[in-house]
Amino acid sequence: MSNKEKESIQLLQGTLDLIVLRTLATMGPQHAYQIATRLQQISDRLLNLNQGTLYPALVRLEQYGWIKGIWGRTASNREAKYYEITKAGQRALKEETQGWRRMSALVERLLLEES
Amino acid sequence: MNHLRRIFLKFYLLFADSKVEAELEREIGAHLALLEDEYLRQGMTSEDARRAARLAYGGVEQAKQLHRDERGFQGLSQILQDTRYTVRLLRKSPGFTVTAILMLALGIGATTAIFSIVEAVLLRPLPFPDPDRLVTLGDEVEGLHCASCAHSSVTAPDIRNYMRDTQSFSHLGGYRGRLFELSGAGDPAAVNGTRMNGEVFAALGVPPLLGRTFTQKEDEEGQQVAVLSYGMWQNRFHGDANVLGSKILLYRKPYTVIGVMPRDFEFPLNPGHANQSEFWLPLSLQPEEFTAGSAASWNAHMVGRLKPGIAAEQAQSDANRVAQQTIRDYPDYMRSLRMHAVVTQLQEDTVRLARPLVRTLFFAVIVVLLIVCANLAGLLLVRSIRRRREIAVRLALGARAGTLLRQALLENMVLSIAGGAIGLTLAAVALRVGVSLLPQTLPRINEIGLDWRVMLFALGLALLTGFLCGLAPAFAAIRTSVNETLKEGGRSGASGSGHARLRSALVVGEIAVALTLLTASGLLLRSFEKMRDVELGFRPANTLAALYVLPQQRYATQPAIDELTKNLLNDLRQLPGADAVGITSFLPAAGNNWGIAFVIEGYVPPEGAALNMASMSLVDGDPFEALGIRVLRGRVFTESDNASSQLVAVVNRKMAEHYWPGQDPIGKRLRRGLPETSTPWMTVVGEVDDVKLGPADTETMAQVYQPVTQTVASEGPLASAGELSATDGWIVLHSRMDPEQMEDTLRATMRQIDPQLPLYQLQTMEHAISKSEAPRRFNTVLISSFAIAAVLLSVLGIYALIAFSVALREQEMAVRIALGCQRSGVILLILNSGVRLAAVGCGLGLLGAVAASRLLRSLLFEVSPFDPGVLAFSAIAMLLLAMAASALPARRGSSADPMMALRGE
Repeated sequence: MSNKEKESIQLLQGTLDLIVLRTLATMGPQHAYQIATRLQQISDRLLNLNQGTLYPALVRLEQYGWIKGIWGRTASNREAKYYEITKAGQRALKEETQGWRRMSALVERLLLEES
Repeated sequence: MNHLRRIFLKFYLLFADSKVEAELEREIGAHLALLEDEYLRQGMTSEDARRAARLAYGGVEQAKQLHRDERGFQGLSQILQDTRYTVRLLRKSPGFTVTAILMLALGIGATTAIFSIVEAVLLRPLPFPDPDRLVTLGDEVEGLHCASCAHSSVTAPDIRNYMRDTQSFSHLGGYRGRLFELSGAGDPAAVNGTRMNGEVFAALGVPPLLGRTFTQKEDEEGQQVAVLSYGMWQNRFHGDANVLGSKILLYRKPYTVIGVMPRDFEFPLNPGHANQSEFWLPLSLQPEEFTAGSAASWNAHMVGRLKPGIAAEQAQSDANRVAQQTIRDYPDYMRSLRMHAVVTQLQEDTVRLARPLVRTLFFAVIVVLLIVCANLAGLLLVRSIRRRREIAVRLALGARAGTLLRQALLENMVLSIAGGAIGLTLAAVALRVGVSLLPQTLPRINEIGLDWRVMLFALGLALLTGFLCGLAPAFAAIRTSVNETLKEGGRSGASGSGHARLRSALVVGEIAVALTLLTASGLLLRSFEKMRDVELGFRPANTLAALYVLPQQRYATQPAIDELTKNLLNDLRQLPGADAVGITSFLPAAGNNWGIAFVIEGYVPPEGAALNMASMSLVDGDPFEALGIRVLRGRVFTESDNASSQLVAVVNRKMAEHYWPGQDPIGKRLRRGLPETSTPWMTVVGEVDDVKLGPADTETMAQVYQPVTQTVASEGPLASAGELSATDGWIVLHSRMDPEQMEDTLRATMRQIDPQLPLYQLQTMEHAISKSEAPRRFNTVLISSFAIAAVLLSVLGIYALIAFSVALREQEMAVRIALGCQRSGVILLILNSGVRLAAVGCGLGLLGAVAASRLLRSLLFEVSPFDPGVLAFSAIAMLLLAMAASALPARRGSSADPMMALRGE
């Protein structure tokens, strides 16, 4: 694993959970490939990550009980594990979003003052 | 909440990982398939699409590892995996595993069992609240060298004075234990009880289980109340909750039961099982206990609780002030006595005498454990040498040294925890069986058991043992040089010289400590033998003894007592087979007494000499004949030595030689008390042999015998008003018949004279001797069995070492033989290497024995800790055993087939 990649993951640790939860909340049940694709879209390929790096976040969220994985079939009749946000996940998303807003507002202010 | 859930899941997945792993595999597969589909749709060939999918996904194995790291505790799961691996490995070599675990189990089991004794007897705080504030208060009488006095003692006036005049104690009280005749329901029985001040309960601070304890006021008023022990309540009252208010008869006087103490309450903390107090009565000192001889009898003890902020030293000087006043008030007949007060921690007072024995046992068992460790380390080293190639291959393939080290240590932990668990079971069994065999010299025996502290100790010991034993082989393993080992190829040459040195050092150490223990055991055996050789001064064969104590209620006058004694002697003499019958106040072998002070006519003691103490036996009938005590000079007592005739005495040889060296003691005079005591003279009419009153390994005391009928007359001012004599005594009966058959006859005779009077401790003299030998027998047997275990283990160690090195050098031996070396030469070569190690070990072991001598000295009897015979014998035995252990592999080495050397490569 390259150093750059490691950095990206560390950078993502906090935000990745939020992004995944948000994606599932807005787009309904998704499988890992879809989530990864979505991630690439919204990051505008800024975060050029391997799709496999998504898996730790998925298992973490599942262990917290915020998302739930269920096996299903895709439109092309391939099997895939669909993740769905749970009620606890909705609550967590709300909290995390607020936390994130506060944090980013704080950082924003800090950066403004400095410039 | 969610975090808890996650932690739980992470733990859970340590054990149910395979399902999750399979699911992950499936999910990744699906993911890749979808990616592939996408690339196919973009018009790639299936080959390209697959590669592109992989590329976009990234490393599959890395993703899996990240997933694993996230979902479970990886450190733990690694250890778990290693453990499974270790267990599998161990199962593959059952011989090694079973040997190692059994050895550990024995070592840890024995150490744990002994530690539980150490813990209960020496380390555990006394079972009272704030035990370090509890102290004993006693007198040290100047000139009285009383080595056998276990506990400092006081007189009745002392109890009164100390309680009244000291200021350092929040509670302070006196107590006296004695044997009581308990009657009422069923056969009368002898029961240990304690008379004590109400203040003692207050000082100890243990609330009763039922009812209440008595107060100091009740004590002073002489209330006849009793507090029962839990044991007595259970055994005699079947745990009846309505016991309060019922009566017990003690020496035929009624006492009302007012309370029951909890199960673990024990006071005084007497050594042994049999001597525990079964009930407590108010001390209620009687007026006569403050006068005459009673005032000079140090036969009670005191215990107190220090006031907050007062140190034991302060309390001691406070008590000393009172003691000096007591001395100033001494009556005329004991004016010259000097004493001072001593305050000791109750804990210290309780364990002092038991300490050397317990420490020695612990030392012995630690030695065994050390040998076990060394042996195990040796076994593990051999194992790691055997696995050198495997380890080298693993290192070459990139295994980290840390991983190898961890696995090596883990292997030992698995072994030692298994050994520890079995050892703990063994210890539990040993304790269950063994506590009843413990000598009666240890206090707090009932508290011995496996409590959490002992368990913790065993677990810690197991881990420490595993860690230490595993360290050397583990490092040896990681130091393995990959190149060298792999280059050696299939050849099993004389490799690993570093390991060989380590193993030799282990074996030398083993032999050294085993020899230390062997000499200790030899010295103890020699002491035991010496004790058996001691001239006891009496003839134990065909002799019965039994104690009786007359209740004052029934035998209130001297004529009543004398009549009973006369009838008893007459009836016993007429028994068929009876040879000689006597009564004596002290039974040989049953226990020492500290004796009384005498004045010897014409004897000028050297400056600063001790008091003239001698044990005084009051006798009636023909105890000298019955016990077979040899008369050396003059005569023993007859019927005509009675209350109205001239006062006479018989002395033993030690007494005669000490006070009248080189003279005939017959006709010399002595009297009871101190020079200022106006007691009448007694004339010595005979000299008899020295008799051991206590165990044979204690010093013989100066002894004086006196007709019991002359007691009161000879006591002069020491006799209290209305004093009765012959109120108790040991019957000694020598018969031509089997003494055990005589037991029933003796009992029947007594029943005819007084149906209610019980006989206590009815036993043969052989039994009494055996009982007195029990403590020494116990430590001798135990330490010898440890020594045997140690020697066997170390011989096993040397055998394993030599056998292994012979196995490694088989080819070398074959080459030597092929080149013309005689087989005997090979044998010598191998024997030599074994004996050299043993010799070094023996040298070190002898040094160890010297170092251990200080610990051992107090347990020896008439044997120097440097007894050359024992030291030489042990060393030679060890050497011979080592030689024997090397001989087997030597023979095998010498039978190496020279053809092997040629074919082997």
